[in-house]
Amino acid sequence: MSTETLLERINDYAHRADPYPLYAELREHGVARQNDGSFLVGTYHEVAALLHDPRISSDVRHRTDPDEVRARSDGLPPSFIAVDDPEHDRLRRLAMRPFGPPHSPGRIDALHGALVGIAGELIDGFRGRDRIDLVDDFAYPLPVTVICRLLGVPREDMPALRAWTDTVIASLDRSPGEETWERQQAGTAARTEMAEYLGELADRRRADPADDMISALVHDAGPEGPLARWELMTTLTLLMIAGHETTVNLITNGMLTLLRQPDALERLRREPELMPSAVEELLRYEPPVQMLPQRTPLTDIEVGGVTVPRGAPLYLMLASANRDPLRFEDPDRFDPARRDNEHFGFGSGVHSCFGAPLARLEAQVALAALLRRLEGPRLVADPPPYRHSPILRGPRHLLIDCTTKDDGAPGES
Amino acid sequence: MQIVVDLNRCQGYAQCVFLAPRVFELHGEEALRYAPAPPDDQAERVRRAAAACPVQAILVGDRAGAESGKGAAADDR
Repeated sequence: MSTETLLERINDYAHRADPYPLYAELREHGVARQNDGSFLVGTYHEVAALLHDPRISSDVRHRTDPDEVRARSDGLPPSFIAVDDPEHDRLRRLAMRPFGPPHSPGRIDALHGALVGIAGELIDGFRGRDRIDLVDDFAYPLPVTVICRLLGVPREDMPALRAWTDTVIASLDRSPGEETWERQQAGTAARTEMAEYLGELADRRRADPADDMISALVHDAGPEGPLARWELMTTLTLLMIAGHETTVNLITNGMLTLLRQPDALERLRREPELMPSAVEELLRYEPPVQMLPQRTPLTDIEVGGVTVPRGAPLYLMLASANRDPLRFEDPDRFDPARRDNEHFGFGSGVHSCFGAPLARLEAQVALAALLRRLEGPRLVADPPPYRHSPILRGPRHLLIDCTTKDDGAPGES
Repeated sequence: MQIVVDLNRCQGYAQCVFLAPRVFELHGEEALRYAPAPPDDQAERVRRAAAACPVQAILVGDRAGAESGKGAAADDR
């Protein structure tokens, strides 16, 4: 339908398997106002500038539309992904203390052996089968096991966490429809329940610490003091959801891309040392987070010759910027050895992905193990069925016919 | 193995510190220090760190280090 705006078409599930022609259209048309008053930006240099522009807020409470503000003002305050500096900086730094440098530089590196072990065990489970669902059998349980171990969440509580996560993710979806309000209400409720669960878990670790990030967060406060309880609740909820949800898509999109590109797959089997650069290319070519839909200008700004008014919803289309021919040579080509690859797979600027190093390592270990051990892998359906979200985009299932060989020597290092 | 980091490009994203913590180190929140000739057993980690740098500031000279065999000597940490 020609009267549909680009945003409506991008949100339309019919385009989920291949949104890239729509992004090409977006780059051609430049910054454009949509019917609902939002603005889409999809060119690399404009997205880069906005990601580093302090006049762009991540806090939707700065939006002019009172419905937007109201939808977010129920329940708990926003987590650090959805607030601005200096508050964002303080919360993020406190959360970083038990996770990475400068205070805990070795935490992720120390997980490498465990990642190799978890991936190996999951693949062991494929033996004797000639068809697997990469999502349910591997790409979902891997990051979930890792984030539960890292944070210290009991594995048996994961079904409840999965249900809450699905509801929260669905509520991010702004595609038009009469259920938008209900979806948001359900999302708010799920997020609150999840935060209460994680707050109670933190209380237990406060009394009885273990060797995990939650215990470190409640016991090893830095000079700025500990997070307040509600801050701990929103931060843990964010880490729990973001800590696994997107990695599922990175691993699945990765395997899908390699199965579609047998030359690249064979090359990675021959040259496994290319895997780190191949994962960067995946983050450019099929980013799990396709867009940042939560940005809002704090004042009227000019982007690509268009004025975006204060308070308007501003969508930064990362997946489109990643395919901008003005920035990347031959952008629609998947090149596992690509140089000059400053992609936006993890965003950029102060809000750049907190868990990026973990996601990178998980994807590298996961894909390396799959390539080493799956023999003759073939896609059962192409395109596979996709999950609903246009924001966090990836297959719901990825059926692969293959046989599985034993692992001679898992690549410990 | 030899590495050079363009510290004018470095913006302190610290991906390299996560991925090769024995080679790269943060001083304070953002200042990077690194071992310019890390030992060979760090090669895989260094490759991961270089690929992960969001501003592509890390140059790795595999050959130079491997051939001259002076990998571990200059690790000043």
